[in-house]
Formats: sequence, structure tokens, C-alpha cells
Amino acid sequence: MELTADRITRQYKNKIAVDRMSFTLTKGVTGLLGANGAGKTTLMRILCGILVPDSGTVTCDGMGVETEEYREMLGYLPQEFGYYPEFSGRDFLLYMSAVKGLQKTVALKKTGELIELVGLKDAARKKVRTYSGGMKQRLGIAQALLNDPQILIMDEPTAGLDPQERIRFRNLIADIGKDRIVLLSTHIVSDLEHIADRLMIMKEGRLLWQGEWNAGAGDLEEFYISKISDNQ
Amino acid sequence: MNEERLILQIRELCISPRPEKKREFLQHLKEHGMMNRRLPVMSHGEFLAGQLFYIGKWIWILSGFLLLFITWVCCRHPGNYPFALTPLLALGILLETRRSFRWRMAELEHAARFSLRSVILARMFLVGAVNTGGLLIVILIIQPFFSYSLIRVFLYMMVPYLTASWLGAIYERIHRTEQGVGSILICILSSFFFAAAPVFIGQLYEERLTVFWAAAFILTACSLAGNLREWTSIMEEAVWN
Repeated sequence: MELTADRITRQYKNKIAVDRMSFTLTKGVTGLLGANGAGKTTLMRILCGILVPDSGTVTCDGMGVETEEYREMLGYLPQEFGYYPEFSGRDFLLYMSAVKGLQKTVALKKTGELIELVGLKDAARKKVRTYSGGMKQRLGIAQALLNDPQILIMDEPTAGLDPQERIRFRNLIADIGKDRIVLLSTHIVSDLEHIADRLMIMKEGRLLWQGEWNAGAGDLEEFYISKISDNQ
Repeated sequence: MNEERLILQIRELCISPRPEKKREFLQHLKEHGMMNRRLPVMSHGEFLAGQLFYIGKWIWILSGFLLLFITWVCCRHPGNYPFALTPLLALGILLETRRSFRWRMAELEHAARFSLRSVILARMFLVGAVNTGGLLIVILIIQPFFSYSLIRVFLYMMVPYLTASWLGAIYERIHRTEQGVGSILICILSSFFFAAAPVFIGQLYEERLTVFWAAAFILTACSLAGNLREWTSIMEEAVWN
């Protein structure tokens, strides 16, 4: 399976958020690095079919990202998300299962599994509004995994997680990424250092560098800073 | 409480619970991936029916209250002004459509299989169908209290309702305020307009103007449908903005 972006561009008034980006994502974890405002969120929204690029195309094995078939195999965690006020954590996951089109029996099973996986078993029946930032983020991670996605796109997934949760999350993503396309965006370099198979570095809407990343190749933070500095 | 026990209790509170059954979950995921097996999915009909339970309770309470109130007013005072109450029914539909944006669920819903467009259309359809069905029952109940034919009562009830829905949908497409004040105002102003209209146009409810009402019904229904089509086509911009 391949997710291919071909010369995608997206502009807002006089700002180019994504500028003629081309790349191909295959199975494994790809880290998307860039400072705030580099265009990571816009790129992820385009890959999820939420935003339509002004020019260029995104396809997955020839299938457009605007199709129902594509969305059926997509798991997405946005940087920020809300919840309906009457929802408990379990209700939220059941609702997302319904919007993802899972049958009721499957939805109940997957919800139960994921609540345990993200450590929300004791809080599952509590209202989401009573959750801490970390619990809400774990709930977001759970909803992204509900439909056993073949493509998992996560925008700043470790925001709000405590150090222990971050390590657990990284391990989980490393396991999931073995046979799926996973794209993680972050501006925290250490989140990617040990789990990313590939890296993409963005700056001001452009792709500065992309390539394989070997965990033993050295300090990722230094590498990232050198790439950003080279371009200045 | 000694210090050691206190530290233990604080640690218990601060440490996030460990993931359970991770190995089983990953094994399951791997098997699914290897067999390229898809999870069983629901049909569009099942999705539509399922959305019924996610519509806010107060929307149903508002619709039920208004339908009962309209019936009561029409039975007790069968004049022309009770027809002006139907624009208030449109409020439920307009507020329900903006729920995803208000609670910042739009982005998540947009990336799911059924997408935001299906979610909004499903909710509009369900609330609209219940309101219209309720109005048809009300029309059958109240018609004997009026000197008008059934078709005329139908038109006098539906045109104000569709007008408010259409104007509200235009407003919602162009501006989306946090609290839906614009939609509330549009429904109230439409109600006032239809209550005051007979004062300015004395023959408004005369039989010879039935054709005008029928034309208004077709025009508002088609305009509402066209506006909804236009709105759903720009849904991605709505999520982003």
C-alpha cells in the first residue's frame, strides 16, 4: 500500500501553507517534523481529505482521498478535537464507531478493547468533560484506532501526555507501524527518535528533507537543526 | 498519616494506569492486517437510523412542545395568526446542523467513513422528517376548526416553516456564530413577519391567492434544497474555518 502526494499546494490568501510537496508513504512510521506554522497540520488535513489542495493530488493505491473507501481505512487524530457535552468516554467511542460505520457488535467489542488499551477502564463511564488533558488525548488515540486503520495520521499525538504515557504511546505506535502506514507530526524531536523509519522535515510549507532514518544514526535533534540551519 | 504512605498515595494518583491486553490487541490487529480482512460495516440506512439517538433531547422537546402548542392555539383560536408559529419549528433543524461545529467535532467526523456531510444531512433529514410528519398530523387535527380546505391549511402551515428553514440555512452557510443567535433571530423574525403580513396584505388568506401560496411553497422548498446542496459542497472549508 502506498499513499502518494503529487505536487500538492494549498494557499491561504497571501500565505502558502503547503508548497508543491511530493512524497510517497509506505508501511512504517513516518515522522513529520517542523516548527509551529511550518504547514504540518495543513498537510495532514489534506492527506485526510479534510482540505482540498489548490493543486496537486493525493491518492492511495490510485484511490482518491475524498472517497468513502479511503476514509474507511483511515484513522485520524487531529491536534485539537471536542466532544458532545453529554458524552462519557465510552459514548464518545461508540459514537465515533457509528460515524466510522462499524456495526454495533463490532463497535462494542472494539470500544471495550481500546478503553482497556489506553487505560481508561475506570473512567469509561465518566463524562469526557471531567477528563484531564492526558485522558482526553488517550481517548483521541483510541478513536483513531477504532476501525483497525491501514493508514494512521496523528497530529501532535503526544501533546498533553505525561512522560510515562508518552513512552507507552511510542511503543504502541512502533508496534502498529510495522504493517501499516503511520504518519506522526510533532515538533518534539525525541518523540520520533526511536520509532520513525522515515522522516520528513518541513519549513514554511516546503519539504526541506525526506528520507530513511536509522535510530542508530546519531542525534536526531542535531540532524534536524542542521537541516533547518542549512536552509537559512 | 506517615510520609511514606502519603508518597505512595500521591504516586498512585499521579501514575497513569497501564494499558491492558495490549498484546491481544496487537495480535488481533496483525491478523486482520495479514488477512486483509475488513471489519463488518453498517449500511447507509443503518447509519441514518443510528443518528436518531444522537440528536439532542431538547430538540425533540422543543419540536414536541411547539407542535402541541400550535395544535392547542389553532383549536382554541382558529384565526390566521397561529400559522405564524411554524417558523419556530425550523429552529430545531438549524441548531442541530451546527452542533458538530459548536462542539468541535467537525474535523473528526469529516475524516470518518460517513463524513461530516452525511452526519449533518442525516440529522437535518431526521429532525425535518419528524417536524414535517408532526405538522401533517397537526394539519389533519386542526383543519375541521378552519373554514379553509385541507390543501390551503397545508400551504399556510408549510410556507412559513419552509421560509424560515431556507433563510436560516442561508445564514448558517454564510455565518456561523458560536451560539446560533442568528438562526434564533431569523426564526423569530419570520414568525413576526407572517403574523403581521395579513395586516399589510388584507387578502393574503383569500382563496384566489392559493396559487400564490402554492408557488411560494414550491419556491421555498426548491431554494432550501439548492442551498443545502451548495452548503454540503463547501463542507471542507467550513471545517477549516
